[in-house]
Amino acid sequence: MKKEEMKFEDKMKILEQTINELESGEVDLEESIKKYTDAMKLVQECDKQLKEIEEQVSKIVLEDGTEQDFSIEREENTLD
Amino acid sequence: MDISKYLTVGALTRYLKMKFETDTHLRKVYLKGEISNFKAHTTGHYYFSIKDETSKINAIMFASNARKMKFIPKDGMKVLLMGRVSVYEATGNYQIYVEDMIEDGVGNLYVAFEQLKEKLSKEGLFDKKYKKPIPKYPEKIGIITAPTGAAIRDILSTIKRRYPICETILFPSLVQGDLAKDDLVKKIELAQNYDLDVLIVGRGGGSLEDMWPFNEECVARAIFASKVPVISAVGHEVDYTISDFVSDLRAPTPTGAAEMAVPHISELEEQLKQYQARMKEAMNKTINYQKIYFDSLKTSYVLKNPNAIYEPKKQQLDLTYEKLRTTVMNQLQQVKNEFIILKQSSILKKPNRLYESSEQQLKHVIDKLEMLNPLSILGRGYAISYQENHLVKKIEDVKVGELLQIRMQDGIVNTKVLSKEGLKS
Repeated sequence: MKKEEMKFEDKMKILEQTINELESGEVDLEESIKKYTDAMKLVQECDKQLKEIEEQVSKIVLEDGTEQDFSIEREENTLD
Repeated sequence: MDISKYLTVGALTRYLKMKFETDTHLRKVYLKGEISNFKAHTTGHYYFSIKDETSKINAIMFASNARKMKFIPKDGMKVLLMGRVSVYEATGNYQIYVEDMIEDGVGNLYVAFEQLKEKLSKEGLFDKKYKKPIPKYPEKIGIITAPTGAAIRDILSTIKRRYPICETILFPSLVQGDLAKDDLVKKIELAQNYDLDVLIVGRGGGSLEDMWPFNEECVARAIFASKVPVISAVGHEVDYTISDFVSDLRAPTPTGAAEMAVPHISELEEQLKQYQARMKEAMNKTINYQKIYFDSLKTSYVLKNPNAIYEPKKQQLDLTYEKLRTTVMNQLQQVKNEFIILKQSSILKKPNRLYESSEQQLKHVIDKLEMLNPLSILGRGYAISYQENHLVKKIEDVKVGELLQIRMQDGIVNTKVLSKEGLKS
């Protein structure tokens, strides 16, 4: 996930908050529509994020501080 | 022969039992030895003996305590146990009622564990207030464990299955042996620099000695100091380590740690769908409410009868006009009335009266004046005497020989005073 974007966690928090606000019925119509539109965009963004982001490759931090791709199978084969 | 000196067996036994039970040393006895004649009864109670080279004592462990045991005792096993010593009246045997039992050899570790646990607990390292929340949707997870073995495999496969979009970084560490504690500390400190959302620290199952690095004080302190929330995952469900107490969340196993660390992506998708549905629902409600409100406005009396807006005003205008009219009319009437009164007044009807009365008055005055006119008295026979135009009222006003003028009704008589004669009154 790109770091410059808002974190998924924060997006979910905003969504939850928005939904609670909308459900409270205390937001006026104009504001509701704006919040709703924004939140729907956010939902789609999150959904896209979940579906489109590729499976992450695990990394291992070696003793010298360098990072390498890591997979159990490879590790165990080299050790066996 | 005094029979009363002789005790019953029961009495003696009860006395002995009382002796045992009032002895504070025997209430809590720490005992080490070897298990023999071990029998696990169907009730769950354990019956066995503890012996060493010279002696033997019967032991019983009730089911309530036996259930808590982390190992199954067997004959020949060297154990450390704790319990109270008392007498079983039915057989007259004294025995130890075992409350807790561990394998000897790990005994020192056990004590060390308890001591460290108490020390850190007193320092507050296990306090809830220090527990950091575990983020629900981590993007980057650090794992500190051995690079081979069940633990890392379980953790990675679980994360990939549930939440493959999450980055995982392994900080390989020794997890057993003397060097493990320092390596763990080093890796926990290193992991702080990787912008992690959560850190899993653990290893797979093993003996107490194997898991010992996770009971080391320096490891506990490194976990406590971690800025990244730590999930501990050491051994199996039953294994508790100091790391478990000090970490922000304890997982029963490495797989459990991975499950706690990440949500299931399909659950998340479901959640998003739910959010969407809830928002739509909320929006519909808001719109419906607005619509109902709008409808109620649309069908409101005023909009249906625009007259209603100015009708009250019109009415008010009418009212004001009417008020004005009556006021004016009243004033007019009043003036009119005054006019009528004036018109009917006698003076206007007989203006003569104004001067008629004056004429009469004049006549009256004239009459009055007439009455006062001294000359008029002369008509009745009176006369007035003058001397050189002065009225003569008394005899001393004149002297004998002087001339007097007598004013009569119709003229003047010139006379001369011949004599004076005063009247005697």
